[in-house]
Amino acid sequence: MATTIKSLRRGAARAARRYGIFFAILALWEFAAKSGLADSVYLPTLETVAGALYDLWVKAFLFTHIMVSLTRVVTGLAVALCLGVPLALLLGRIFPASFARLEALLRIFALVNPYCLFPLFVVFFGVGETPKIAVLAWVSLWPIFFSALSAFKNVDPILVKTALATRATPFSLFRAVILPASLPSVFHGVRLGVEMSFFILIAAEMTGATAGLGWIIHNAGALNQVDRIYAAGVCVVFLGVALNWFTLYLKRGLFFWDERRDPFSTMAPGGARRPVGRGRLAIAVAVFLALMAVGAWRIFEAERLLNDPSTVHEYHVSRE
Amino acid sequence: MKNQSRAADAFWGGFYKFGSIVLFVALWQLSCAAGLAPETFVASPVTIVKTLGNYILDGSLWRHSSISLSRAFYGFLLSTLVAVPLGFLLGGWHKNFERIVGPLLIFLGQFNPFALFSIFLLLFGIGETSKIALIFWVAIWPILYNVSMGVKNVDPLLVKLARSMGLGRLGLLRKIVIPSSASFIFNGLRLAAATSFFMLIPAEMMGASKGLGWLIINAQINYQIPKLYAGTVTIVVFGVLIDAFFRLLERKIVAWRQPLNL
Repeated sequence: MATTIKSLRRGAARAARRYGIFFAILALWEFAAKSGLADSVYLPTLETVAGALYDLWVKAFLFTHIMVSLTRVVTGLAVALCLGVPLALLLGRIFPASFARLEALLRIFALVNPYCLFPLFVVFFGVGETPKIAVLAWVSLWPIFFSALSAFKNVDPILVKTALATRATPFSLFRAVILPASLPSVFHGVRLGVEMSFFILIAAEMTGATAGLGWIIHNAGALNQVDRIYAAGVCVVFLGVALNWFTLYLKRGLFFWDERRDPFSTMAPGGARRPVGRGRLAIAVAVFLALMAVGAWRIFEAERLLNDPSTVHEYHVSRE
Repeated sequence: MKNQSRAADAFWGGFYKFGSIVLFVALWQLSCAAGLAPETFVASPVTIVKTLGNYILDGSLWRHSSISLSRAFYGFLLSTLVAVPLGFLLGGWHKNFERIVGPLLIFLGQFNPFALFSIFLLLFGIGETSKIALIFWVAIWPILYNVSMGVKNVDPLLVKLARSMGLGRLGLLRKIVIPSSASFIFNGLRLAAATSFFMLIPAEMMGASKGLGWLIINAQINYQIPKLYAGTVTIVVFGVLIDAFFRLLERKIVAWRQPLNL
């Protein structure tokens, strides 16, 4: 009994150390908004923001927008993975000489800001979801490609030679040596790509979309609904944090043997490194697929809500 | 004779390295000339160069670029001034600080700059401040991350050695920590500069009346395809220059270390 209380107390102290500063900042925000230190028009109180969140959820199809944004990011990422990793394998391991020739061109491609060429993406991919996903795929392609490439190239040559000395076939060499040795770095690229494409997603939705969290921010800004800007911003933050924690969780589960230190790993939440069981992995994949299915459905739903005269007003304003 | 062969080597080396770009541009030009690419959507390189020439001559390119560059520069400078010392503190220079502020900074690092941009617009107005604040926000994280990683990766043996020779905290910082984390710091600075320029363009598209991003959104709205390509090429050129500048700086200053290739 005493030990339980002790461990509880220790846990509470740890939580206070870790999350205390969040509460301090929230309290400061509330205080500034309430006391009139900051103009309450520009800095609404926390309960106003919470109210706006509720309002958005109930009246303005917040769930649809969240799912639309999430689906776009994940689809773009999947496209980037399917293109980037095989390409990196091809140029890093199979034809390293041709990479040396192509490197300058690829580096330049990586610098092209797809956001500038958005009209061209529309020309080539039509209107609708495809150009947006293409922009996101382009943005996340390059971090994935370059980190996968350096991972494939930097596989310890001793491991490769040892494997070859045991007469490993190219396929088993790939499966047993190259893939395990380079996957953690590939995954690092994926995390960078998620971050970049999520940043760009919000920007893209703010300028050229009719659904998604960025669009809510844009719409609320146009209608001068400051509390909704904050509410949608909170959603964006939490979606970003959730994406990041999910990738971190995957990384710890899948690449638990990888010993390279993440500088923030001691500070980031999460427990000990241990392998993920097959069952849990299957559940994660199932949940993920279900989320994607819901997201795809919601994209059509958003389209329908926008075109339906009975909901279009709610979709846009919903307050009056 | 020898000089000639060296020149030839340099030429072929350069061709080996940049030949793909030349080939790509040539193919692009040929397919435009042959009518393979629709002229209304794909400007040929020659057209782009002509358009760029016009913008350079009438001074508008420089006007917009200088504004964009100065925004990126101020945001970057501000974030460097904040993030480098903060990175040292987070890298274990001050354990309690790391424990208390660390989680907050990780959390803040996930904040989407464009979601914040509309709030920056509310708080700072539509002037320069909001854009510089956005760039500051974008550029601070790579620097912070890399500096703290560099400080954490300092060889403990060196630190112990220096301690046992009676080096104080400040001397330790100056003689051991900064030199051995220098390549990480430079890597962070380079990434931050590239990201700040990359993210500035959407920001200028959303809320600006000058700058390269504005030039491009203006071209988009008016469907001036050559202008669009010209702006994009300008941005790429600046991206290459910024990257090259930081790599050069790193080579000159941290000459004793192998560059970190991340």
